[in-house]
Amino acid sequence: MKSGRWITETGSSTYLSEAVAIWLRDLRGEFRTRYAVNAILMFAVTTLIAVSFSIGSFRIGDAEQPFLYAVLLWIILVFSALSGLSRSFVKEEEAGTMDVLKLSARPQAVFLGKLFFNLTLLGALELIIVPAFITMMNYEIQLPGLFTAMVISGGLGLGAGTTIVAAMIAQASARGALFSVLSFPLLLPLMITAIKGCEKAALGTNNPGWPEVRIAIAYSVVMIVMSLFLFPMIWEE
Amino acid sequence: MYSLKVNDLCKHYTETLLFKNISFELHPGEVMAVAGWNGSGKSTLLRIIAGLVRPTSGKVEMFFKGESIPKESRRRFVGMVAPAMSLYEELTALENLEFFCKVRGIACDRKSCLEMMERAGLTDNTHKLCRNYSSGMKQRLKLAQALVHRPPLLLLDEPGCNLDSKGMKIVESIISAQRQWGMTVIASNEKREVDYGDRIINLSE
Repeated sequence: MKSGRWITETGSSTYLSEAVAIWLRDLRGEFRTRYAVNAILMFAVTTLIAVSFSIGSFRIGDAEQPFLYAVLLWIILVFSALSGLSRSFVKEEEAGTMDVLKLSARPQAVFLGKLFFNLTLLGALELIIVPAFITMMNYEIQLPGLFTAMVISGGLGLGAGTTIVAAMIAQASARGALFSVLSFPLLLPLMITAIKGCEKAALGTNNPGWPEVRIAIAYSVVMIVMSLFLFPMIWEE
Repeated sequence: MYSLKVNDLCKHYTETLLFKNISFELHPGEVMAVAGWNGSGKSTLLRIIAGLVRPTSGKVEMFFKGESIPKESRRRFVGMVAPAMSLYEELTALENLEFFCKVRGIACDRKSCLEMMERAGLTDNTHKLCRNYSSGMKQRLKLAQALVHRPPLLLLDEPGCNLDSKGMKIVESIISAQRQWGMTVIASNEKREVDYGDRIINLSE
């Protein structure tokens, strides 16, 4: 066995390659256990069916539809995300793998890996729920481009916000309650922006430069950058 | 090349004093044993050395060619096995080792992971999910994981936990291989494991 091998070979390691390794491991684990996917999809599908059967597309007047449908869509997306995204860090704590991960990976790489994983879950959720919502509620969208951009940028912000909160609550005792309580005020500005953007897309009122999309992207960038600075402190004891 | 310096370590948990005035130096080829009653702080001392827990006072420093390695980097120079540390149960043994190589940025191929598994006596179970492993096999895999990046500092907290006589021989061979160039700290109550140490710190005293 040769000493010093470690130092030379870690020189090629980047945060991104480490983050990708964590992301792929989480995906593989999730594919085999389906803890988070089941929690998120069950909540989303149940809520969507409950909303479509109780409200339907005919009980709301044409004038209110763009706003109310945007509200309902984002309520389903945000609360579905809250039901499962905390698992990314909580499962490390519960399974006793937190220490070995702390010894192996750099904190920023762990955050990025978990962020990629949560964004993958959110992307899959949006791919299933948004078309289903549009079909079941007969949601008419005048500007599909703005609507799609709003859903994607809103999802990015949602993933960024929930990932850092998931890291914060992972070592707490009342994790479930804490996750929702801490996430809600953090996500409220994003939710309001996303609702406004989707309403405009449905109405066809096109502001130049899509300000809501830009706000959501700015929110996501700020959240990710701040998290990369804060996460090492959370990750330490 | 590498060395470890533990200087005047002290750890309190709220009102309870776990240990105080722990100081030692460790150089390549040396094995330090940490003994003591249950709750005397053996595992905590190892976690402090690894950089997973902060001491109440005192300092742990690791040096490479005389230069101090920053605390945030120190963790990655450590291989650690502890009863409370688990590996990913939903992955196979080989996937676990490959993951720890990738995440540590080690250019490691499947062959070297298989060699490590052979060293741990797990060659017949490389593609078995860890959740289907016995407790002894999990302990062997933990040992393989701790060694996969060939760490200069090996921290073994109760390394013989759940191991049969063949497993204990593997621990013995790992310690003697580490003696060739690296440092080892063993925490245990078992006389056989404590006897591997060139020096002993007894936390019960």
